Amino acid sequence: MNIKNNYIPYKMRVAKITEEAPLIQTYRLEFVDKKEADEFSFKAGQFAEYGIFGEGECTFCIASAPTREGYIECTFRNTGRVTKALADCEENDIITLRGPFGNSFPIEQWYGKNVVFVTGGIALPPLRCVINTLLDQREKFGEISVYYGAKTVNDLTYKAELDDWANRGDMKLFITVDPGGETPEWKRYIGFVPTILEQNPPESDNAIAIIAGPPILIKLGMPILSKSGFPNNRIFTTLENRMKCGVGKCGHCMVGKTYVCKDGPVFTYEEILKMPVEY
Amino acid sequence: MEIKTINTTNISTFFNQLVQSGKIVIAPVLKKSGKIFFERVQSYNQIETDYIQTAFSAKSVVFPKVEELFSYSKTTDNFETKQSLSDIPETVVWGLRPCDSAAFNYMTRFFMDENPDIYFATRKERTTLIAISCAKSDEACFCTSVGLDPGKTKGSDIQLTLMGNEYYVEVITEKGLSAIKTSESLFTSSTEKSKEKYLAEPTTKFSIEEIKEKMQNAYDNVAWGQESMGCVGCGACAFACPTCTCFDIQDEGTGENGKRIRCWDACGFSQFTKHASGHNPKPNQTARRRQRLLHKFKYSVENIGMVSCVGCGRCIRICPAHLNIFENILNVTKA
Repeated sequence: MNIKNNYIPYKMRVAKITEEAPLIQTYRLEFVDKKEADEFSFKAGQFAEYGIFGEGECTFCIASAPTREGYIECTFRNTGRVTKALADCEENDIITLRGPFGNSFPIEQWYGKNVVFVTGGIALPPLRCVINTLLDQREKFGEISVYYGAKTVNDLTYKAELDDWANRGDMKLFITVDPGGETPEWKRYIGFVPTILEQNPPESDNAIAIIAGPPILIKLGMPILSKSGFPNNRIFTTLENRMKCGVGKCGHCMVGKTYVCKDGPVFTYEEILKMPVEY
Repeated sequence: MEIKTINTTNISTFFNQLVQSGKIVIAPVLKKSGKIFFERVQSYNQIETDYIQTAFSAKSVVFPKVEELFSYSKTTDNFETKQSLSDIPETVVWGLRPCDSAAFNYMTRFFMDENPDIYFATRKERTTLIAISCAKSDEACFCTSVGLDPGKTKGSDIQLTLMGNEYYVEVITEKGLSAIKTSESLFTSSTEKSKEKYLAEPTTKFSIEEIKEKMQNAYDNVAWGQESMGCVGCGACAFACPTCTCFDIQDEGTGENGKRIRCWDACGFSQFTKHASGHNPKPNQTARRRQRLLHKFKYSVENIGMVSCVGCGRCIRICPAHLNIFENILNVTKA
């Protein structure tokens, strides 16, 4: 029978582990099998299932950019059974990967436009994939702005990369921490992301906005972007519901009739407004 | 389609020849509990013939309660997986009701239309469905409300209808033809007859077209709270349901050796949609019951053009809180 088995995973080697924040790590993964590595490709916004035999699988967006070939990266928080087992890995350990799954951001349609990113906490990883994809072809886009916040300074992910972005000089960064989460040396913003966004509203003319975060950030942030003049079909988000299969069968990720795994995870605000609030 | 008849005295011979052909034959068996379950049998005299409906559907033949996706063995720097699709046996399901056959039809659409599922496909290809039309129904039956009826042949490979002292045999598919091949002499060729007077007459509870229409705006109906009040989230309805397809994926074994399995799951379980963060998009039983019913009567229609309820009534018979699906849907579609 000539049907692809969606459940057999790839074999991945943990090539590099980066500590990002308390309980948060980035794994750089490389294919063990050269042929699989050559065949594998993904688009910005797609996700995968990462697994440890004996524990199971869990779902994260691919955090590295498809423009940077030879590896993929994922950033995750040690919070449950599988992520605990993943966090216990050491460099050169073998883990499993299934994917890529889902749709992607229509980046080719954004050429010549300004792009605004709004995100918080551990929702930066899926957008980091998009941001770096844009930065790798910087000349094709207008202004790139990033609104990003975490509970505390220590909880910010990709600290080194945030500094790199700041030093480039061709991006506008609004990095913030929740009130009380600042350190004496902290010189950036203090306040919740929606507040900082509202106080420093992005220009919406010829612009695209992408928002990702805990559900509360999406619910609060989208109306602010609307108020700034972004039409609903130019605000994008990536939803992350609980998932098991990745191919629209197991039923866990359903939002109304929509399977986040195969119909998403990328949706426009226009699409989100037609869905029940089950994310 | 070929029409034949077989005398009731010959039916056991046909059945036993199916068993002897080497296929696994599963059929309704009366258990000590007084309930009837599909089980593997070796002979016609083990099976129950007087029943309205089995407690569980036969869906486990194509979508097992626990199914091994593959086995794995792992060392520190390598792993191997092994799948055993070739071990899946040829199976005959005997005596399922027309509603259950229709459910196989739905499941085939669900599992195969988009991102086809190799496990389902393999099992389905090796399964022959020999349905028996219903001569009796009970108050939980409502197939006629969802576009089916006690003699409907949708999904069946062969359908038997008892007419006096003989079975009227509709051989619908190639698989059906091949199932009767070795027993050809037991059958007599016949012409098309009306089955109607031999069939049960379940009361029609609602108009499916009207319900489909009203379900469009049912999401915000306040009645969901009342209608799901009794639900204890046990998931029995989903496990008994012939069209429920949700599953979980789990590992059984250690980090070195074991198998990755998929097993039935249910949208009624409180953890079904719960995120690792603790956030739960469907935080209460009302949201979960609503998901179940809207999936059956709205989302399936929008996604693949079919209602995913066949009116078998199992969820009504099995519910410990006496929730009744057709009462629920009537109440949540009232203005």
